[in-house]
Amino acid sequence: MEKTSKFAKIYLALVFIILYAPILYLILYSFNSGGTMNSFDTFTWEHYAAVFSDTRLIMILINTVIVALLSALIATIVGVFGALGIVFMRNKSLRNSILSLNNVLIVSPDVVIGASFLILFTMIGVKLGFASVLISHIAFSIPIVVLMVLPKLQEMNSSLIDAAADLGATRKDILTRVIIPFIKPGIFVGFFMALTYSLDDFAVTFFVTGNGFTTLSVEIYSMARAGITLTINALTGIIFVVTLLLVIGYYFVSQRGKKPVGLGVRK
Amino acid sequence: MKEITRSVIAIILVCIALFFVNDYLNKSSGNASNDAVTIYNWGEYIDPELLTQFEEESGYRVVYETFDSNEAMMTKIEQGGTSYDIAVPSEYAIETMKENDLLLPIDHSKIPNLTNVDPYFLDLSFDPKNKYSVPYFWGTVGIVYNPALLDGQTFESWEALWDLSLKGQILLVDGSREVIGMGLNSLGYSLNSTDENELQEALDKLNKLTPNVKAIIGDEVTQLMVNEEAAVALTWSGQAADMMWENEELDFSIPQEGSNLWFDNMVIPKTAANVEGAHAFINFMLGAEVAAQNADYVGYSTPNVAAIDLMDEEVTSDERFYPSEELRDNLEVYNNLGLEMLGVYNELFLEFKMGMN
Repeated sequence: MEKTSKFAKIYLALVFIILYAPILYLILYSFNSGGTMNSFDTFTWEHYAAVFSDTRLIMILINTVIVALLSALIATIVGVFGALGIVFMRNKSLRNSILSLNNVLIVSPDVVIGASFLILFTMIGVKLGFASVLISHIAFSIPIVVLMVLPKLQEMNSSLIDAAADLGATRKDILTRVIIPFIKPGIFVGFFMALTYSLDDFAVTFFVTGNGFTTLSVEIYSMARAGITLTINALTGIIFVVTLLLVIGYYFVSQRGKKPVGLGVRK
Repeated sequence: MKEITRSVIAIILVCIALFFVNDYLNKSSGNASNDAVTIYNWGEYIDPELLTQFEEESGYRVVYETFDSNEAMMTKIEQGGTSYDIAVPSEYAIETMKENDLLLPIDHSKIPNLTNVDPYFLDLSFDPKNKYSVPYFWGTVGIVYNPALLDGQTFESWEALWDLSLKGQILLVDGSREVIGMGLNSLGYSLNSTDENELQEALDKLNKLTPNVKAIIGDEVTQLMVNEEAAVALTWSGQAADMMWENEELDFSIPQEGSNLWFDNMVIPKTAANVEGAHAFINFMLGAEVAAQNADYVGYSTPNVAAIDLMDEEVTSDERFYPSEELRDNLEVYNNLGLEMLGVYNELFLEFKMGMN
């Protein structure tokens, strides 16, 4: 038994090395004064300075974050109510078909979603830009939120709701004081998933940007045409660190969510 | 529940704060005026300082966006929903855009700096009298090679590629016009040839090159040449300049028999919202000092004679990137051959590629 666990550890380490090596390699070279990724000369911050002195790049970064936060927020609100609707649906076949429709959106390729949005927006005359990107990000995030919240709802004992109703809770009370506190961890997971999906989306955004509005992934793609400059490496480094902080933040949030349910409800 | 409400409020506050930061940056980087000029250019194809300078001089605010291929750019403009005031397509894309009625004519009286442009680059076949376009940068197709991996061969002639010693050493760009054009050029024919016999001869000639070809690839060619994994590559001059900047061993040559001459041009798309500003921008970019600074930054060849006078002699006298008139006479711009003829070229190129195995 001990032998297998040792082997398993090595295997795990290997997998993580393969997953993280390219990113760390990229970040390492963001400190290279040589200007290329061929050989490491000396340590420098100059590429990070270049990122921060490029106002346009910073504005794009801020745009990306605004779109991610807003789309994740709205998608979470819509998605939670969607999940509630699905769970409390009485007609079983209708529930299953709606759930399947939701899943189809998750597995359908981004390119298809992006192209359809482009056609839709131009048909109904929405100007491409912030609004079109935000709407499409909300749209592709909703199914993810639904899928994250659903298991929590199904896990909930329905007698909790009956008990609350017996004790005189109104429908609003049941929702805000029983159901939502119970599924809170699911809501947060859904929000963070939507956030990361929005941050790293390229394909959909590529179709629906325009009029000077871009997100980071699309901008980096255009920059890469003239060869990868180390500014991109520096930017990647910054994003990686921010993501790491987000994950750590999420870890603490989810740790709190693990407290006994009884305590959580009383909040 | 309280926690969720608090989180929602926090997120909204963060968004509002970010929005104001963005607005502040927007105003401080440009002008407060709402008259924006939206520019749609290739990535890394302008000195960003010049955008700031244009904002200060003209009072317009610049919105800058980038694309990565002529096709992507044309789709965005054709679909509508955008209002780009300036775009920078390559010459064949200009012909397509003209045919699809996507361009506005340029008012030459608003572009006095047009006189700075070398007449050689004006009134070309893809846009007679420069009705719709103004030259931005230009370049050629040629051979980039690594003398350290060769025994002293040079590439003044296309014929040198057929040398038996180059077995499995040559990289070709994956473009039918470039490769078939090279075949035609090596035989002394025009690279716009529509003569079936000439094209067949070119294909036969290319098939003899097969043993020397290592691969037919796209943009990866830069990395392969820089890392010295191949000795010779057929590529565009701009890409060659990039490679040479990263690996000083490399050298570039335009064969004497002739080659392709390409242009990227500024145009005003039909969907433009600020035509006045677009003209102002074109005129600004053609200014001698501005064009010189831009060429220094971007590294491609500028068609602006007034700018060349201001630039480093060492750069502009480099025949590899600023070929002399004499050499340029051998260079040809791709004509729009029409869909049918383009199909023939693609067919021949496919035949050549199939012969590779």
